Amino acid sequence: MRKRINKIIPGIVALLLIVFTSVSVDAQNAVALKLNEILVYNDSNAVDDFGEHSAWIEIFNSSYNTVNIGGCYLTDDLNNPTKYWIPTGDPVTKIPARNYIVFWADNHPTRGIFHLNFDLSDGRTIAIFDANGKTLIDKIEIPSGQKPDITFGRPSNDSDEWVFLEKSTPGANNDYTKKKSAGESFVEMDPYGIGMTMIAMFVVFSALAILFVIYKNMGRYFIRKATPKVKPVADNSKQVHEDAEMSGEVNAAIAMALHLYQSEMHDYENTVLTIQKVSRTYSPWSSKIYTLRKIPNNR
Amino acid sequence: MGTFFDFIVEHLAQFLQFTAFANLTVGHVIMICVGLAFIYLAIAKEFEPMLLIPIGFGILVGNIAFAPGYQIGVYESGSVLNYLYFGVLQGIYPPLIFLGIGAMTDFSALISNPKLILIGAAAQLGIFGAYCLALALGFSPTEAGAIGIIGGADGPTAIFLSSKLAPDLMGAIAIAAYSYMALVPVIQPPVMKLLTTKKERLIRMKPPRAVSKTEKVIFAIAGMLLTTFIVPSGLPLLGMLFFGNLLKESGVTKRLADTAKGPMIDIVTILIGLTVGASTQATTFLTLKSIGIFALGAASFVVATFGGVMFVKIINLFLKEGNKMNPLIGNAGVSAVPDSARVSQVVGLEYDKTNHLLMHAMGPNVAGVIGSAVAAGILLSFLA
Repeated sequence: MRKRINKIIPGIVALLLIVFTSVSVDAQNAVALKLNEILVYNDSNAVDDFGEHSAWIEIFNSSYNTVNIGGCYLTDDLNNPTKYWIPTGDPVTKIPARNYIVFWADNHPTRGIFHLNFDLSDGRTIAIFDANGKTLIDKIEIPSGQKPDITFGRPSNDSDEWVFLEKSTPGANNDYTKKKSAGESFVEMDPYGIGMTMIAMFVVFSALAILFVIYKNMGRYFIRKATPKVKPVADNSKQVHEDAEMSGEVNAAIAMALHLYQSEMHDYENTVLTIQKVSRTYSPWSSKIYTLRKIPNNR
Repeated sequence: MGTFFDFIVEHLAQFLQFTAFANLTVGHVIMICVGLAFIYLAIAKEFEPMLLIPIGFGILVGNIAFAPGYQIGVYESGSVLNYLYFGVLQGIYPPLIFLGIGAMTDFSALISNPKLILIGAAAQLGIFGAYCLALALGFSPTEAGAIGIIGGADGPTAIFLSSKLAPDLMGAIAIAAYSYMALVPVIQPPVMKLLTTKKERLIRMKPPRAVSKTEKVIFAIAGMLLTTFIVPSGLPLLGMLFFGNLLKESGVTKRLADTAKGPMIDIVTILIGLTVGASTQATTFLTLKSIGIFALGAASFVVATFGGVMFVKIINLFLKEGNKMNPLIGNAGVSAVPDSARVSQVVGLEYDKTNHLLMHAMGPNVAGVIGSAVAAGILLSFLA
């Protein structure tokens, strides 16, 4: 049985590893960045910090922690992935969780970090590359037919689709429609909480029922394992019989000794004789009253 | 001379404006009385002194009526109390308490008789009963979820969930949860007696078998994996609970287990108790909502006890004579460890002086801790 278990355990471990490694997780680094919205022809849309209307590119941090975009590259040419290097060491390149950053595609890189060395008039592909300049993080091919002041972007943060947006939202969520919270949506369908009670009790019971099944079977296995196999040999059977007849007091004494040992409550005898004073008995010889000098009386 | 005298009088008057006497309201007086009552119950009646003393004193601290703007109160950014309260607001303290609970809990009773786990699930009915009632009373869905968790009888879980779902109500929810946990010996026995017959109360259960170390180690690991795979949002609580238990049961991390169940949980209990108590400033705490929360909390405890006891009675219908469970352990499905298990023992002894139910009741009791953490995870998944 032990051999069989030893064979099974590596299999289970390997299976778990496969499961864990195959599950996709949200990266908490530059990989989480997404191109989110672009405006190619800016006639009367957002103005930059120089008061000019320029094309712009919005990037969204889809992760749940801050990502520093510094060191990454933006380009409008896939053959030249390192066209614009986003400077490092500047706090403004840090994008908070689920937040946005806007770059001005005005071909004026001397105007600051957020001003790119290309514009979007010729570019048909925008891409962002990781700090190694090789790993493509995200790209978008700009379709023809771009109109002035109409942005092209994802209709919502989690969408993979790109459409012409009714309203431009530089530095903000593209989905500006009023949304209900998860709780409101849930209660709309379940105003009295009956559904919640049924689902939740089912899940709680399922979770604990699975535990029940596992421990029930595990218990059976361990009980079987712990039960001594009585061999029909005369001497051994005598030994088993003696063990079975161990009195309750002996068991209790052994249990107490083990408890004291495990809890480190037992004392250590160091074979040195000591006299332990157990009580203070009154004696005039040790009384302070009698040992104090009497105050001299002049009378 | 007259000018100087005016200066002294003026500044004395100004100083008086800063004293609590000048800022005191009826609400503050009421809350100070509540705090004193908590301390009295803890010292004189020994109702959960480890919780009620810090909370009671925290209520006193939180209801000293100060002039705002001097970074004194728990709700003022930058104050010392506000920094300590951060651990409550961000849900940091509850998982640390669960780590300690895991390190001090022996799951043997549960492992030796796994069907006791299901009682821990049944008693979670209190959570969802209170959730339904709260919705009916007009609380928002997130508020109703946070209030419902009081029925789990688990202070850290209540604080954790309310910090995520309804931070504004956290003070009232935490106080209600801890108060009713302390009042378990008062609330539960009448319900238990009402739902059971004398014959049922006398049922004797088989003594639990000895559980090996391997079983306990597997329990900690498998329990964490299974429960968190089903409800990942319960990971902070369940992960820490089973981690603490593994520290205890592995036998090779005694120092870590001792720290988790000793100094660490003591420190966190002091901080959580004091700051939760201090969060009950009369100005924010004394509202109709708080009264509603207290009423719903009491109802949730009754429903939870009902769920646990009735579940045992139903299960008994399918069990053979000799394997039946005493329904008096059903109340222990709420996770007030070990108070509700102690209630089972005390009520059981009232009817049979030799029928000790404590160890049997510890099974559903610790299952209740797992169950309430799972329930919190579900509420968080649907409502957050």
